[in-house]
Amino acid sequence: MADLSTKYMGLELRNPVVVASSGLTDSVEDIVKLDQNGAGAVVLKSIFEEQILLEAEHDLKKMKEDSFAYDEYSETLDYIDVHIKEKEVTKYIELIKGAKSKTTIPVIASINAVTALEWTSFAKQIEQAGADAIELNIFVMPFDTDKECNENERVYYDILKKVKEKVSIPVAVKLSPYFSNLGKVLLNLEKEGADALVLFNRFAAPDIDVENIKVTHADIFSTKQEMYNVLRWMGIMSNKLNADLAATTGIHTGEDVVKMLLAGAKVVQVSSTLYKHGIEYLSTMLNDIHNWMDRKGFLYIDQFRGKLAHKADDNNNVYERMQFMRYFSDIK
Amino acid sequence: MEKIAEYIKKGRPDAWRTELRKSKKAKERTSIERVKMPEQDPAIRATNSLEVNLGLTEDMAVLEATRCLDCPEPTCTIGCPVGIDIPHFIKKIESHDFLGAAKVIKQTNALPAVCGRVCPQEKQCELQCFYNQKLKKPAVAIGNLERFAADYERNSGKMSIPEIAESNGIKVAVVGSGPAGLAAAGDLAKFGYDVTVFEALHEIGGVLKYGIPEFRLPNEIVDVEIENMRKMGVKFRTDFIVGKTASFEDLRAEGYQAFFVGSGAGLPRFMNIPGENYNGIFSSNEYLTRVNLMKASSEEYDTPVLKGKNVAVIGGGNTAMDSVRTAKRLGAERAMIVYRRSIQEMPARVEEVHHAQEEGVEFLNLHNPIEYFADENGRVNKMRVQKMELGEPDASGRRRPVPIEGSEFDIDVDLVIVAVGVSPNPIVPSSLKDLEMTGWGTIVVDKETMQSSIPDIFAGGDIVRGGATVILAMGDGRKAAAGINKYIQEKVKAN
Repeated sequence: MADLSTKYMGLELRNPVVVASSGLTDSVEDIVKLDQNGAGAVVLKSIFEEQILLEAEHDLKKMKEDSFAYDEYSETLDYIDVHIKEKEVTKYIELIKGAKSKTTIPVIASINAVTALEWTSFAKQIEQAGADAIELNIFVMPFDTDKECNENERVYYDILKKVKEKVSIPVAVKLSPYFSNLGKVLLNLEKEGADALVLFNRFAAPDIDVENIKVTHADIFSTKQEMYNVLRWMGIMSNKLNADLAATTGIHTGEDVVKMLLAGAKVVQVSSTLYKHGIEYLSTMLNDIHNWMDRKGFLYIDQFRGKLAHKADDNNNVYERMQFMRYFSDIK
Repeated sequence: MEKIAEYIKKGRPDAWRTELRKSKKAKERTSIERVKMPEQDPAIRATNSLEVNLGLTEDMAVLEATRCLDCPEPTCTIGCPVGIDIPHFIKKIESHDFLGAAKVIKQTNALPAVCGRVCPQEKQCELQCFYNQKLKKPAVAIGNLERFAADYERNSGKMSIPEIAESNGIKVAVVGSGPAGLAAAGDLAKFGYDVTVFEALHEIGGVLKYGIPEFRLPNEIVDVEIENMRKMGVKFRTDFIVGKTASFEDLRAEGYQAFFVGSGAGLPRFMNIPGENYNGIFSSNEYLTRVNLMKASSEEYDTPVLKGKNVAVIGGGNTAMDSVRTAKRLGAERAMIVYRRSIQEMPARVEEVHHAQEEGVEFLNLHNPIEYFADENGRVNKMRVQKMELGEPDASGRRRPVPIEGSEFDIDVDLVIVAVGVSPNPIVPSSLKDLEMTGWGTIVVDKETMQSSIPDIFAGGDIVRGGATVILAMGDGRKAAAGINKYIQEKVKAN
């Protein structure tokens, strides 16, 4: 039977199917189940900088309701966000420790950062808790029209740089495709020390409920269609980068995993498909990969990884074609 | 608006008060300037632990009491959590009946000398004073007058003991001897119960002793009030941790019919930033407890506290002010408050901030520590702070501090005291698995009776509020005493 083991950021993985940061990875119990069903590694549910602040707001309101009317602010209320952060950080550290003690697969912690400030110091605690690597999930909402594009990009580099200064475990950056020159940004991140780049982050999206005429949330799960943009960039960039690449968003089947590996991904990250089909579906995906490799006569992954990545001398580059033009104009 | 209690309005038409009111025109009264509380000179007091405020003289007190208009609708009383008959006691002072004034206060307040010193009157009674509300002049110095009456009584050696109902022999336990516990114990004793106060530490008084320094509230004053409670029949057991030394079940077996839990918020909080475990970084709880209660400022005692030349106190509340002023008194050359918001947002009393400034405390407002560094022995020697700016308002309505990127710099420190708040004491809750708690670690109680989810257990003060003032804790204690009385009477009737 084919060997699915792979390396990601220097970590030994038994297979390239990593469970993405999600609700599936926020308890030790679930992580144990993922391990039992064959996950190559897990990325823990993100600890959110913004969420902590929201939680602080929520607690402050609730404390005021629960407790009696305050006629002055106590020290506790004054630093409530600090305390909430401490509580959340402690919880997260416990999750890392629990996951590490109950499983043998690599545990990658995830920090969702929007600034390169005090939050980055948390990375050190993550490392001390035993995490094998850190995934930084960064997104700067570019709403400030006074800022130049490169100023926004600088935030990504700064966060990465600060975290790299703090820890010696590998650090991955998960980012969105929304850059005016994505390839250059990826190269810059690599230069700043990213051990891996995770393509791409998927955002919560708004929708409109026309019956009730109100704004709602769009479907939270990815669709297969979303995979193709990831595939494009995987194909374009995998030969240009030394950093490892992880593919995520829209990858739902063993076949999808194979496609990403062929385009050059070191690992893939999945979650929507496990929500839809259950954690047990992991073993189905792994079986499908095995079967395909057996069918094609591959014994190990590196025999085919990146086989279909874009090469510099490739003149007919489908990855780079955006407009349909002549390519499809023959189709009647 | 809340209602002014009937008993407060009832005494106003009394002949002596009517006569006193008429003895001076309102204009005469309102033209008197608020009497300034005499204080120790800042340069001198920063080197000793004697009380900063020296108290009003008799003449000063009478003059200040004369300012009070004895309003028909005394709004000041609305601001008092324990419902002191404020105009009544102030008019007693004006008529030179100082002992009478103390007696009036003690009808509803078991610890007047304490409250006169540490209550934030500017946010309570004095905030509601007619002078403040309508005349836009400094309020009548209600707090200073309360302190005067209590001190006068204490120094006279004629302390009045409140009237106590005949003993009913029913045992009630009070857990914790802080302001909530003492207030509850006082009222329960008045109702005729056999009250025992259990205290975990070796000294009675809770936060009044371990938390508030001598220069703000001398321990001796607390002791006198406690002695008075002993005279009322209240028993005290020190070094006794309810939930550990004995369980609630053990105490029930000993015949206790109800419990008041006022175990406070003595669990220190930290900021969880790198280096916070280095030597020389204390919680304010530990620092103040060791200085206030264990005489750690004296080298002759077994556990001297570390003294620093460059002391940073993190936080902007009263505890932070107490800590920084204590450090100054213990010889700090540079005593700093490091606070991440601006001075306007500080939760500390204005008076405390003002006193600290006078004593030479440096204020690094809009600064936040992000990391500590230590020497080769693990003793803190440097602190990295980041400058902050004020962003959008948070749920409390105050603007949230936001870090300024790239503004970090280092400050030499050899002692850091972290005063960023406290958590409720977890011992009692963890020993009672059926006790309903909030997510914040406080005990859930009925707001009228202070009864918890376990019928014979009542609670109040910081264990319910998470962090509040002495007077609010006392108000809770009094409410709980009434709640316990009702609970026991109903139980007795049912049997």
